[in-house]
Amino acid sequence: MRRTALRSIAAANAVLALAAGLEAARRPRYGGELRVEVRAAITSLDPAVVPEDPAALGAQRQWMPSVFETLVSLDDHGRPQPWLATSWTHDTTRKAWIFQARKNVKLHDGSTWSPPGGAIAVPDDRPIEQILRELAGARSAVVVKAEDGSLLGTGPFRIARWEAGKLAMLAAHDQYWGGRPFLDSIRIQMGRSLTDQASDFQIGKTDAVEIAARDLRAPKQRGTAMASSQPTEMVALTFDGGRVTAPTRQALALSIDRTAIFNVLLQKQGEISGALLPRWLTGYSFLFPAERDLVKAKQLVPAPQALTFGYDRQDAVIRPIAERIAVNASESGITLRPSAGGADVRLVRLPVTASDPWLALQDLTALLKVAPPAPAANSYEAEKALIDSSGVIPLFHLPRGWMLSSKVRNWSRFEEVWLDGGAAQ
Amino acid sequence: MTFRTKLLLISSFTVAGAVALVTGAVSISTRRAFDTIDRERRQALLVQFRDELAARSVEVARRVELAASSPGVQQIVAGAAEYDRAQTEAATADLDFLDVVEPNLTIISSAHWPARFGYQNDWQIAPNDWYTSDVFLARIPTPEGSVMALTAVRPAAGGKALVAGGRRLSPELLKSLGVAPGMRALLWLPPGEVIDAEGSVTDAQKLAPLIQEVRSTNGEATGSVQWTSDRRSSEAFLALPITRAGTLTGVLLAGTSLSTQLGLERSILRTGIVVGASGIVIGVLLGWWTTERITRPVERLAAGARAVAGGDLSARVEVLSRDEIGELAQAFNRMTEQLLEQRERAIQAERVAAWRELARRLAHELKNPLFPLQITIENLQRARESSEFEEVFRESTATLLAELGNLKTIIGRFSDFAKMPAPQFETVDVNEIVRGVMKLNIQVERSKVKPVLDLASGDARIQADPDQLRRALGNLVLNALDAMPDGGTLLIRTGLHDGGVRLEISDSGQGLTEEECQRLFTPYYTTKQHGTGLGLAIVQSVVSDHRGKISVSSAAGRGTTFTIDLPVSQVDSAATAGEPA
Repeated sequence: MRRTALRSIAAANAVLALAAGLEAARRPRYGGELRVEVRAAITSLDPAVVPEDPAALGAQRQWMPSVFETLVSLDDHGRPQPWLATSWTHDTTRKAWIFQARKNVKLHDGSTWSPPGGAIAVPDDRPIEQILRELAGARSAVVVKAEDGSLLGTGPFRIARWEAGKLAMLAAHDQYWGGRPFLDSIRIQMGRSLTDQASDFQIGKTDAVEIAARDLRAPKQRGTAMASSQPTEMVALTFDGGRVTAPTRQALALSIDRTAIFNVLLQKQGEISGALLPRWLTGYSFLFPAERDLVKAKQLVPAPQALTFGYDRQDAVIRPIAERIAVNASESGITLRPSAGGADVRLVRLPVTASDPWLALQDLTALLKVAPPAPAANSYEAEKALIDSSGVIPLFHLPRGWMLSSKVRNWSRFEEVWLDGGAAQ
Repeated sequence: MTFRTKLLLISSFTVAGAVALVTGAVSISTRRAFDTIDRERRQALLVQFRDELAARSVEVARRVELAASSPGVQQIVAGAAEYDRAQTEAATADLDFLDVVEPNLTIISSAHWPARFGYQNDWQIAPNDWYTSDVFLARIPTPEGSVMALTAVRPAAGGKALVAGGRRLSPELLKSLGVAPGMRALLWLPPGEVIDAEGSVTDAQKLAPLIQEVRSTNGEATGSVQWTSDRRSSEAFLALPITRAGTLTGVLLAGTSLSTQLGLERSILRTGIVVGASGIVIGVLLGWWTTERITRPVERLAAGARAVAGGDLSARVEVLSRDEIGELAQAFNRMTEQLLEQRERAIQAERVAAWRELARRLAHELKNPLFPLQITIENLQRARESSEFEEVFRESTATLLAELGNLKTIIGRFSDFAKMPAPQFETVDVNEIVRGVMKLNIQVERSKVKPVLDLASGDARIQADPDQLRRALGNLVLNALDAMPDGGTLLIRTGLHDGGVRLEISDSGQGLTEEECQRLFTPYYTTKQHGTGLGLAIVQSVVSDHRGKISVSSAAGRGTTFTIDLPVSQVDSAATAGEPA
């Protein structure tokens, strides 16, 4: 089922270019600086560091391949494809896999990436599919630490300037084995609220800004260039410290009118879901119930309960959803009181970081601070076990939306983006 | 308690009482004046409050109408606006609350609670009121809890929707009234919220009785609340109901702090206490000075009276003033002069009477023997020629000698009374004296009188002249025996009394009249046929020489009792013992 879904649904990081076909037909130009603003505040691009902030993790996983590459990559259908490794085979004892390194790969400092013997041995007797999936993950990226402590990769862009959580300047890697990217540089301003991003975009201070899912329709109507991804962000309720009982969690899940939120607050962007992973990634998300049943919810809460409710009040997507959930919950006898500090219940946005279910679940377990799912026959079983163990209540899967200036072309991966009139920038 | 002390207390209490009365009267009149002024101020504040509320109601109605006719609301009704578009419209119309609802009251967009879209509007108002009411008070639910607001409802989009908007009844409304210092306006909102210009009022439940009164009477009510244990925290309130369709939707309260009034009352009281205390001090000083002027002459008069009572009729009081006290002193002096003159005259008269009595008694005593002497001598003269002369002579001479003996006896008694010797004191046992006297006299009258002795069991020894004491006691016993010619009981009782010895000699005879008792100790007075009237005089003389006292008590038919009190010692009286009283 998973493979069928993978074949039929676009990959998570494959961002759709919605620009007109006429523009796509134009010939790409080299040069220019792309200015991007994001809400996330990434503290490190090191693939080995897993940020605790979901937004930062999502952004890191999105940009990291432009700087650090893996031996294997997954295509838009989730299938492993050669990348820094051109081929692989097992050794004679069938106890290890030998990955042949791509030749003429230059690190960001100009030196050549050359593993000893031109190959990398991976001692692992698991099925090759699992090994390849793991090697395609961000944590398996090739990172070389320079003498000055800086991190060197092989990706199309190198880190030219790094101010943790504030600013990242990426410069084109001229000796990139896949060819120099179109952009000369990328300036990424981090920690910018959606309001600030919109303001900067209006005055031309930036070329690409994030927009809330519910606003995806509005720019279209105004004719503004925009782009959106597949639903790669999950809105969910999480519970801290086990203070909330299972019946209360279930009552809360049953009391939420997801349809009203989806129709009104999200303007029908994304999808309603009771699953951790979006439908395009697994194809079975409809198996997880997401319907409202207020009668049953009231039965599960015989006496009124009050829970503290935490959410990011500055988040224009989360705040109205949280307020609506509080209204819904009150009907079942559960009072959700907003709390700035510790809270019994939290409404969060969790990123779907990979186009592979297992890799995505791996990052989710890290964010939910639960044990990784035990090996199961399929990802559905693993996902169900993860929901049961963490108590998380998935609500929606939302696409990522971008507003783009008129000069941005081919908005997808950074190495594929080019600027119209870029040399003039 | 002395007269001076009484005067001082009276004057002090009078001053203090007067000050207390004045202080109380001033406090009461002050309180009434404050009450009147405060009530007028509160009334004025409530009028101002109502006017402000009415003005704001008009403003709210205007703003809701503005919102209802805005293009934004038209877009909301048409479904062409975002779910929270009402926030923009509310901000434009400067409304705190705004709900755009369908005719069935389903919320399309809510400014104050955007998340309630799709829910029924619940402003606790009946649906039919939406069309009929003008501006009214309503409790509006918000995420933070329900709040009261001035609200109005107007149709929008040609009746396809309704716009319900309102403005919060905030402390700012009360602050805008600009109340005078010491006053404040409050607003009670159901179910029990109370706000003033500073925000929510704590301890609002203390206003519950006043609110209850307003609720029950549906009219004005007054009352006061003491917010803390300090009385200065008291506040007087005038409450006015706000009703809608006969239902109490709020209560306006105008409060006046009583701290100023209580402070003034306290100041008056403090002043009164200070004035009262000063008055008491001044009163005491003046009273002391006055009583000194009044009581000193009175004390002199009292001293003079005591001197007169002690027998000093020459005592005089100095006359220091011409007022009533001076007249009293003059009267006292005149009284003592008259008493002195009367005593002199009484002494003179008594002397004359005594001489007359002495002469009468002498005449009587001497006349009795003289008559036999005359008869006997005449018999001798007649018998000188008869043969029986010798026998008559013998009998006559014997009679003459006997009568001469009587004359001699009579003269001896008078001589003895006149020459009463000074007592020779020695320690004697009174009981022994009594036993000796009884023994001597009971031998004579053994058959008719029953003697009874009730002698003191303790020490009954005193310093006395035993012969004189025995003679005095003998006279009393003889008198008692004479009083009981047909027999009776003679009781002699001795006992210790008041540091001395008391003797009581009682008979069971016929007794004496009161006049007889008063004259009994007068010399030469007697109730007996053959008495000289000197017996009891001698008894009194002896008792007096022993610095004692004698008294008599008698009742008709129940006998007579003589009581003699003698001191134990005569030391202090030794100097005067030789001088008869």
